[in-house]
Amino acid sequence: MSAVAPAAPLPAAPKPGPVVGPGGELPVVTNDVTFVEIETLRSREFLPAAKEALSAMLKEQGESKLIRPVFNWAGRNSLFPLHWGLACCAIEFAAAFGARWDAERFGVVPRSSPRQCDLLIVNGTVTWKVAHKLIALYEQMPEPKWVIAMGNCATGGGPFRTAYSVVPGVDKLVPVDVYIAGCPPRPEALLDGILRLEALIRERGE
Amino acid sequence: MESNPEDIRAQLTAAGAVGVLAVEPFDGAAARVKFAPESAAALFQVFRDALGFTHLSTVGGIDWVTRYEVFYLLWSDATKRYVILSADLDAKTPHIETASPTWPSANWHEREAWELVGIHFDHHPDLRHLLMPDGYQFHPLQRAFKLHEPEELEVKVRHV
Amino acid sequence: MSEMWINMGPQHPMTHGLWNLRVRIDGEMILDVDPEMGYLHRGIEKISEDRHYNEVITLMDRTCYVAGMAWEHLYIQAAEKALGITAPERAEWIRMMSEEFQRLASHIMWYAAFVQDLGLMSPFLYGMRDRDLILDLFQAYTGGRLTYEYMRVGGVRNDLPEGFPKQAREVLDWLEPRLVEYDRLCMGSDIFRSRCDGLGVLKESDCVRLGVTGPMLRSAGSKRDIRKDRPYSRYSQVEFDVATADAGDVTGRYLVRMEEMRQSIRIIRQTLDWLDHHPGPVIADHLPRWLGAPYAPVGREGYLLKRNYPKGVGLSAIEEPHGEACAYVVNEGGEHPYRVKFRSPVFANLSACSHYLVGYRVADIPPIMGSVDVCVGEVDR
Repeated sequence: MSAVAPAAPLPAAPKPGPVVGPGGELPVVTNDVTFVEIETLRSREFLPAAKEALSAMLKEQGESKLIRPVFNWAGRNSLFPLHWGLACCAIEFAAAFGARWDAERFGVVPRSSPRQCDLLIVNGTVTWKVAHKLIALYEQMPEPKWVIAMGNCATGGGPFRTAYSVVPGVDKLVPVDVYIAGCPPRPEALLDGILRLEALIRERGE
Repeated sequence: MESNPEDIRAQLTAAGAVGVLAVEPFDGAAARVKFAPESAAALFQVFRDALGFTHLSTVGGIDWVTRYEVFYLLWSDATKRYVILSADLDAKTPHIETASPTWPSANWHEREAWELVGIHFDHHPDLRHLLMPDGYQFHPLQRAFKLHEPEELEVKVRHV
Repeated sequence: MSEMWINMGPQHPMTHGLWNLRVRIDGEMILDVDPEMGYLHRGIEKISEDRHYNEVITLMDRTCYVAGMAWEHLYIQAAEKALGITAPERAEWIRMMSEEFQRLASHIMWYAAFVQDLGLMSPFLYGMRDRDLILDLFQAYTGGRLTYEYMRVGGVRNDLPEGFPKQAREVLDWLEPRLVEYDRLCMGSDIFRSRCDGLGVLKESDCVRLGVTGPMLRSAGSKRDIRKDRPYSRYSQVEFDVATADAGDVTGRYLVRMEEMRQSIRIIRQTLDWLDHHPGPVIADHLPRWLGAPYAPVGREGYLLKRNYPKGVGLSAIEEPHGEACAYVVNEGGEHPYRVKFRSPVFANLSACSHYLVGYRVADIPPIMGSVDVCVGEVDR
């Protein structure tokens, strides 16, 4: 469990001795053995093992201290953005999930239903006509959730700032965590924004 | 490509078109035909059937402050050329007969022209908002409509 | 079974943009459709009235974000006619090449999005990868991937960089066999064929009546192509064929677009050959002072005052990747255009959607609407 956020106190270092795995006692590695038998964790054994380990730690440390860092670690490494395209930035959003940039290697998988998402990437101009639908989509997303304003239009209206139908910045409608500049931002900028959001989540310990 | 108003004028005369005020040369189209808005419906039929302009590209409106102008861009597959129809409308209550019966593609273009410029199309089958939300009061492409600076806005989001 | 209206959009994986298709269904059958547009209406025609002629180009890239070059070309032609300015020969050829590269990029983007909707994932990855190669070319000479701000009234901003023709030819050499592979992926797939054949049929007479243009019209058998019928730029000096199909269904539109990509490559090769042998200026001399030098900042009061310049109206029409696009620019002697009006091909293609959706099933909507290649930016403008 070394990947747990450092915001929480780390579990105590394991004592030397037999390592207990799901398959029972593993051979202790000493200098005089020439080969090591390691029983690997098969996928069907992973869940029981994780459950066992978690419940042991829960018992030791108490619920609040552990659950939040675990959820934080799991959540920030698997952000599920909502799959919807507003305007130009949506094309760069799609390019970021294409072969060259492959945003899915960061655990970012777009989902089509807001109920499955925790990240709203506002990738384009928001008009007054779509404003209440955007708020509705945001409200449908389960907590905890984050918003990235991608591009100048979502940040502050961009080149259409003075238009009669354009919301000058999506932060007037929903709280925004990360702003990405650019018109449109390159896919690298989007990936950078997502990584910055991950750092932000880690920092806040949400 | 070349503007050829004489040809259009001759064809209109042969077809017995009424309400044509002027046939002017126009760069990029066969001609610009100015017509009286009262004779719109009959003239549309003449252009489609007698002159072969089967495709309506677009309908647009211009606010000239003292008057409105509505223009139609037509394309003929047979002779491969554009023609522009243009009519001047009254500044107070700009209205003209719809072109939808002649060219069904006029439906959305006229909805847009009504919504943005404020020209009313009589007997239109479905004249309602297309781009702006229902109940929007203004016609943004009129000259009197000024763009605002967003700082003047106060946004209130009310969750219900 | 009782009838009901369902909303597909504005957030729906089928829409590829921000619009709402309201469908009245009885079980699986579509009885009526009512598209609801305007979620991306940004008032581009109104903002243009507040901008200098060269500043409108910025908006043009964003009007249709998958075909920015084509829309720049469209606007520039109309603005030049309205102002009475002509561009140098080399600039015209560069514009034509840019438009064809844009057609390639737009069609590949369509391919990637459309085939993904049908459940084939690899075409998306293939398409996005190859499209990036074309965007790299754009980046080499404009600096931008999607939004270029490259063309100017009276020419283009800068000449092609050194080594560009070689790089461009390499990309074309790479793309040509890839297109064959694209085709084999789709036309060799039973799933693809069974989901596309005979769907969304629109006959040629209906297309003309309803104002449908572009690949949708040509897939029904018509040979109307503005590049051939009313050659603009230098299209009269290059050889290419107009791609057509007969069925007027989804497969027909797919075949037309595939063939258009091959023809675009053919045009680009001829253009590159011409550009190799004809160096020259790319922006007109003696541009009026108020238009500014290509790199000069614009917008300072007094600097751009326009005096004694003739009024005029400019009309231009191009064959945009989606169909026939027109621009109508009215120059009333001010610094800004008095009125700018655009005709978007997708706007008209979409307005006819009840004619090619009614009678099919709900599951047929993604392939049919995918074959229309909806770009909401240019519908709503």
